[in-house]
Amino acid sequence: MLLDVKGLRVSYRTVYGNLEAIKKVDLSIEKGESVAVVGESGCGKSTFGHAIVRLLPPNAKYEGKVNLDGKDVLALKGHELRAYRGNDVFMIFQDPLNSLNPVKRVDVQMLEAVEMRERVAGRGYDETKAYKDIVEGLTGVRMPDPEVILRRYPHELSGGQIQRVVIAMALVMKPKLLIADEPTSALDVTIQAQVMKLIRDLKKEYGMSVLFITHDMAVAYTVADKFLVMYAGELSELGPVDKVVSTPLHPYTVALVNSIPNKSRRDGDLVSIPGSPPNMISPPSGCRFNPRCPKVMDICRTVSPEARQKDERMVRCHLYD
Amino acid sequence: MDSKFLFFVARRAVNAVITVILMIALIFIIMHLVAPTPEDLARLYVGPKFPPAELKLIAQRLGLTQPVYVQFVTYVTGFFRGNLGTDTIYGIPEILVIEEYFPVTLNMVLLGTLFGVLLGLFTGAIAASNRNTPTDYGVKALYLGTWAAPPFLVGVVLQLFLGYGLHLLPTSNVANPVLNIPPPVTGFPLIDSILAQDWTYLYSWTRHLILPAITIGLISFGSITRLTRATMVDALDKDYVKLAYMKGLGQRTVVWGTAFRNAIIPIVTLLALTFAATVGGAVIVEYVFEYHGIGFFAVQAAYALDYPAILAITVIVGFSVIIANFIADVLYGIMDPRVRLT
Amino acid sequence: MGDGDTNRLTRFRLFKGRQRSPSVAVPDQAETPLGETSGIRFIVGFVRRDKIALSGALGVAIFIMFSVIQGFLELLGGYLRNPSLSYLLLPSDPFTFHFGLELAPPSLANFPVGLLGYDETGRSILSRILYAAPRDALASILIVVSAIVIGMALGISAGYIGGWADEILMRITDAFLAFPLILLAIAMSLILGNGYLVVLITLMAIWWPTYARFFRAQALSLKSRGYVEASRLSGLSSARIILRHIFPNSIDPIVAIATLDFGNVILTYSTLAFLGIGVTVGVPEWGSMAAQGLSYAPRVWWYALFPAIAIMAVVVCFSLLGDRIQDMVGGRISY
Repeated sequence: MLLDVKGLRVSYRTVYGNLEAIKKVDLSIEKGESVAVVGESGCGKSTFGHAIVRLLPPNAKYEGKVNLDGKDVLALKGHELRAYRGNDVFMIFQDPLNSLNPVKRVDVQMLEAVEMRERVAGRGYDETKAYKDIVEGLTGVRMPDPEVILRRYPHELSGGQIQRVVIAMALVMKPKLLIADEPTSALDVTIQAQVMKLIRDLKKEYGMSVLFITHDMAVAYTVADKFLVMYAGELSELGPVDKVVSTPLHPYTVALVNSIPNKSRRDGDLVSIPGSPPNMISPPSGCRFNPRCPKVMDICRTVSPEARQKDERMVRCHLYD
Repeated sequence: MDSKFLFFVARRAVNAVITVILMIALIFIIMHLVAPTPEDLARLYVGPKFPPAELKLIAQRLGLTQPVYVQFVTYVTGFFRGNLGTDTIYGIPEILVIEEYFPVTLNMVLLGTLFGVLLGLFTGAIAASNRNTPTDYGVKALYLGTWAAPPFLVGVVLQLFLGYGLHLLPTSNVANPVLNIPPPVTGFPLIDSILAQDWTYLYSWTRHLILPAITIGLISFGSITRLTRATMVDALDKDYVKLAYMKGLGQRTVVWGTAFRNAIIPIVTLLALTFAATVGGAVIVEYVFEYHGIGFFAVQAAYALDYPAILAITVIVGFSVIIANFIADVLYGIMDPRVRLT
Repeated sequence: MGDGDTNRLTRFRLFKGRQRSPSVAVPDQAETPLGETSGIRFIVGFVRRDKIALSGALGVAIFIMFSVIQGFLELLGGYLRNPSLSYLLLPSDPFTFHFGLELAPPSLANFPVGLLGYDETGRSILSRILYAAPRDALASILIVVSAIVIGMALGISAGYIGGWADEILMRITDAFLAFPLILLAIAMSLILGNGYLVVLITLMAIWWPTYARFFRAQALSLKSRGYVEASRLSGLSSARIILRHIFPNSIDPIVAIATLDFGNVILTYSTLAFLGIGVTVGVPEWGSMAAQGLSYAPRVWWYALFPAIAIMAVVVCFSLLGDRIQDMVGGRISY
């Protein structure tokens, strides 16, 4: 097992009160496996990814256990944390326009990554060798003319190019787990497809584990082995992609799957889930999905359901008690 | 890249010159609005003590009966030649008065602004990287307190506590009046006293400088803190900062090397505004500390109804603000590779 | 921000969640936990939940309301030639000399007249401070509002028309921005005569450049947005576009800027008063009271200190409120 998350809870103190962004999420990822975290905006999926790399704002409070390859992630401090980021785990982000430091040239930024990698490994840093590494990385992401790209500033690159540079950086770092936080949602559809294919290829070639965060189930379906469905900071359902899509258990997953546009329903309206995600400061009591749930029962309004094993899946719903 | 940058600088320089001419035009328009006849204008130039008959002659002598556009051209070319009119009190060209007092003020204001800017950048960055923690609130209380206090209050409180109360520092004058002023090569006391190797004067000047400069810094750092905190919070949330963390860079490197480096770009534009505010605020600070610079002189001129002096000082301070603006623009271009392209 | 850009960037929306436009990508926790994310109602709703903003808002409300009523009474008293009307709300007549109480320290005797002490002729400092409030309030409101109006007209035309008009208007703005406020006010009051009105007009004439820059930037950034372009292509007139798109999108940030700026005006105004600019002899003014009091400092500390504190308190209230609004419309407050 590569990543093991048990009972993760993340909360913030805010001016409005205590905000529980993530409540009791469990997840494990094997080597070479890829998992997609899906859910609406504001469901805590991005917070989940940031929590694993410990990149939440200073007023965030973590509870629970996160274990990556034998490291107790939530207890890491200073030097260990730095070695953990980059070497064990690497994260790529949503917005290509802001993914690279605008005031530094691309080569400088990539060399920084190599330098950190070498330093953590206790090796000397050799710039010519490092330069070869980053050119190799860029070739690995099918970037034509890597030397030209390297001499540019980020604003001289397109969104797709920047996302490739970032993925190339991941290749150079060779992390055990790659977390991708909506890496394609700000790109054109054609570029989106290329980037997705790239991530898929890399997974195969390098045997990297991937945690893919997206609101787009259709996109996630093409890369993931497992789905982790989240609602309002809670795990709703966790299971293999095929099972989750063909026989969703949780009513929320049912709604999500129904809202995927597909060819056979091309003239129908896009199905959407009625209502909107809850206020996270004062979430509904009981199951957080109960105000929007078509199968709501009395117990749902008072008792928060526990996660249960159902075949090879986890589900949190009173329907399966 | 370099030719692009030169073009960028040249464009900004042209803009600055245009702005200077426009500013002079504004002063010119204001003067002609409030003094529509040549006699009124002449009274503005020479003061209120002359009878109307004499004013007519003076108007003729000063060329105030000429067509307006001729007057304007004379006025603008006069400014660029250093002709800012003649002082009605001392009867010498204003430029000489300004040459004597302005560098003294500039020296004090620049050091005070530097102190304020450094303080603002530092506190803003600290507040942002500890946002919503007691450190952040502490910084906020500090800058709100000094920023909301009227400038004279800050000055007076410092004067009372550090000057009269603890007898640590002198509370008035540019330097001990007993000392001889070093030969004015540049007009800046700091440079002049070093050139003349007059360490006694330098020491005295520095001690007299501290309170006014700190006052200037304290009343101006709040806006810098506020903006730094805002841009820094934005920057710290940016994906490139998170990516820098992901590479394994340490917190200090990321906060100061990546986030801060990007956060200060928009602040550069605020520097010119801060300078404008402090050089204007120097009037009040110099008044409180009886610091004999241009601001102190301006207040004296106002009490003496010395119109040309006030107008000349206004123009010259405006001119220095435009220069500061130009420098800030160029700095912006140096710091942000994206700007040079446009 | 409007919904148009969100729709344009996400090809199809799978889920009807509150989505921000991807260009301001923020992690989930930055979503505001409130229903609305913009508009005056959102701001009011937010301020009600935030203790700091609320205390600032209360202070501002008290200051403005008192000033309106007191100012009205002062005008009425002047108009009816019945000065006692203007002291109706005050502890005592701000012009009455209390013999034997010259420079008397703050005390609870004769509450509340002597609460903040007496000046050199035995006039109640508290009454004088309260009497001066309306002129500061009027100055700040008039100057900020006129700055918004002038800045909006010039800034939006510069940004929207672009080209040469933009160049010229921006150079003019720069030229105004270069003027040292205090010096210009001194010069104007010297030439036109020393008075409240002259200071008001001078400040109104020179306060707008920052607003013009703001509105220009706003117009520029909105002009290139898809939905504004679309409405232009569909034949909507420029006036309509400005009214329907540029103006509403500027309200949130302008509320924040203006709230902070009220404090700035009061600071500048009282600094001028401190120097004796714009002050009518005998009429109390916070800045000039502090200046007079200074000649008795530090022994008679209350004379200079309390008017200065009055200025500070009002400015702090405006900044507390404005700071919070700014954080909020900048999307920075949510966690």
